[in-house]
Amino acid sequence: MADKILTAKELEIQFKLRGKTLNAIRGVSLDLYKGEILAIVGESGSGKSVFTKSFMGLLDRNGRVAGGRILYYGRDGEEPLDLATVKREKEWYKIRGHEIAMIMQDPMTSLNPLKTIGKQIMEAVLLHQDVNRAEAKKRTLKYLEDVGIQDAARRFSQYPHEFSGGMRQRVVIAIAIACAPKILICDEPTTALDVTIQAQILDLLKELRHKYSLSIILITHDLGVVANIADRVAVMYAGDIIEIGTSEDIFYDPKHPYTQALLSSLPQIGVKGTDLFSIPGTPPNLFTEIRGDAFAPRNPKALKIDFLKTPPYFQVSPTHKAKTWLLDPRAPKVEPPAVVEKIRNGGLF
Amino acid sequence: MFKYLCKRIGRSLLTLVIILIIVFSLLRLMPIEGYFPNYEKMTPQQIQVGLREMGLTDPLPQQIVRFFGDLLKGDLGTSRIYRANVPVSEVLADKVPISIKLGVLSMLVSLCLGIPLGALMARYKFRFFDKLGTLFIICIEAVPAAIYFLYIQLYGTQLLDVGLLFDAGNPRCWILPVFSMSLYNISFYGMWLRRYMVDESNKDYVKLARAKGVSESGVMFKHIFRNAFVPLAQYIPTAFLNTVIGSIYIESLYSIPGMGGLLVTVVKKHDNTMVQGIVLLYACVGVIGLLLGDLLMVLFDPRISLGKKEGDR
Repeated sequence: MADKILTAKELEIQFKLRGKTLNAIRGVSLDLYKGEILAIVGESGSGKSVFTKSFMGLLDRNGRVAGGRILYYGRDGEEPLDLATVKREKEWYKIRGHEIAMIMQDPMTSLNPLKTIGKQIMEAVLLHQDVNRAEAKKRTLKYLEDVGIQDAARRFSQYPHEFSGGMRQRVVIAIAIACAPKILICDEPTTALDVTIQAQILDLLKELRHKYSLSIILITHDLGVVANIADRVAVMYAGDIIEIGTSEDIFYDPKHPYTQALLSSLPQIGVKGTDLFSIPGTPPNLFTEIRGDAFAPRNPKALKIDFLKTPPYFQVSPTHKAKTWLLDPRAPKVEPPAVVEKIRNGGLF
Repeated sequence: MFKYLCKRIGRSLLTLVIILIIVFSLLRLMPIEGYFPNYEKMTPQQIQVGLREMGLTDPLPQQIVRFFGDLLKGDLGTSRIYRANVPVSEVLADKVPISIKLGVLSMLVSLCLGIPLGALMARYKFRFFDKLGTLFIICIEAVPAAIYFLYIQLYGTQLLDVGLLFDAGNPRCWILPVFSMSLYNISFYGMWLRRYMVDESNKDYVKLARAKGVSESGVMFKHIFRNAFVPLAQYIPTAFLNTVIGSIYIESLYSIPGMGGLLVTVVKKHDNTMVQGIVLLYACVGVIGLLLGDLLMVLFDPRISLGKKEGDR
């Protein structure tokens, strides 16, 4: 496999809320390889965004990295940089945008309404590329064309309200690219867009990854998006990655009961009158310490040990591992849910 | 844009005309004492003759038409009691400049101090400077102005070694009235700018600006400040024009011969023509201020396009 560009090791992130401590990320380890698209999926509040925000020092004021390391290998010929130890804002300015850039969920609000989009992209060019204004403008126009905005010279001096949602997301992507980063974090980049535009934006991301040799972390709760674009998938639940593997591993051979439940809850053509599948219960309270498998209380087929001991990673294949006691040799054999068969037969995507 | 402007100015003029007709008609209902400085000593015949001379016995519509005719010629009528037989425009011409001078100075001071106050409070939110600013604003808002105005006059005049009363020729005499007038506005601009800036700083585009590596002060001044200033910009023309009206309290405290309190005085004295003239002035200030405020918003905010229909691309 290719070289690593970022490694999180046993990362813990805590928030102080009304005198209590919330463990948002509970000892997560993850590798990101050069040039790959890694999707992180999970439901709201599972910690996907918080996890990636910590790479850029953008946690809210009450949050902090409480343990572990985030090693960044992007600076060629230098020792890996531990982002978990970066404290001063000044140091972050050299990392934000410059090494790691971010695209946010809602393109309607992500742009400054009072600045022309040209200026907003140029601001990033001037910050991160050592060029004069004339050259910066030239590059800005090129970025606009690269993200598929026609008539760039005219669009350069227009304001965000003159763009549609999909076009604005293209502008946001252009801003990220203009920073010339090595890693691009896309925090639900298509959630606020309609389906046809979603596909276009995903295609654009795929294209830009090669053109600008980016490594992309894609945060989403839309498994359709994941299947479309991701090389590898990490499934997050209650602040931990419970299963990680290539897209094929996750979709064709899900091992963790939560991954299986997540796939089962994909809307599919069913029989009239039967309910869509939904996962019972609610995610655990992260203020309290979690014992055993965090998903056990919502899993009707949970084993006794799931409530007592946190499972370690079990390696399924060189690319695929999951944190579930079901993979222990002593565990009872559980059949994968019906949906997996359907996916294998190509009936869902 | 031009079409909108014409429409808007036309509407403003119409508003002024309506205000004047209403005030003019209401003033005709006032007792007629107000037209004669020595009403008690006059016989009914003298009063009738006087009224006829002034055209006040004509039907109301005719009087209104004549009033607007005079207005177009720049004639606001003649004061009858406040300064008997002096044209209203002349009375105002004596008083308005000094109020404007005082007001504009105070406005400049308020903007120059209030805006940095608000911006710095937002920049250092919840830190020491913010708390200090909040203390200042609370004091200004909560303590009745009369109290600190008096203290400023009492100790300020000693400190600057000037008399209690105003002397337009002595530049040092301007300091205290201008400063007193500014205090409230400094706290006003500071409070609202801080609030709008804090609002803006929680918006997504600010997060994106941070994520692309813009420094904290860059974010504050390149992105947040301008956007937060837009809602305040709207009030500046009105505040500017309001200087014409003067400040009742400050002007009486320092015996400044300005506009402050003039309306109250002439209403009390039943000087109807003066009331008309001053109401016209006030109405102009209000209407023109709003018009300029809206136009200023267009300059600041590209999303507002005048005259175009919503959804035009």
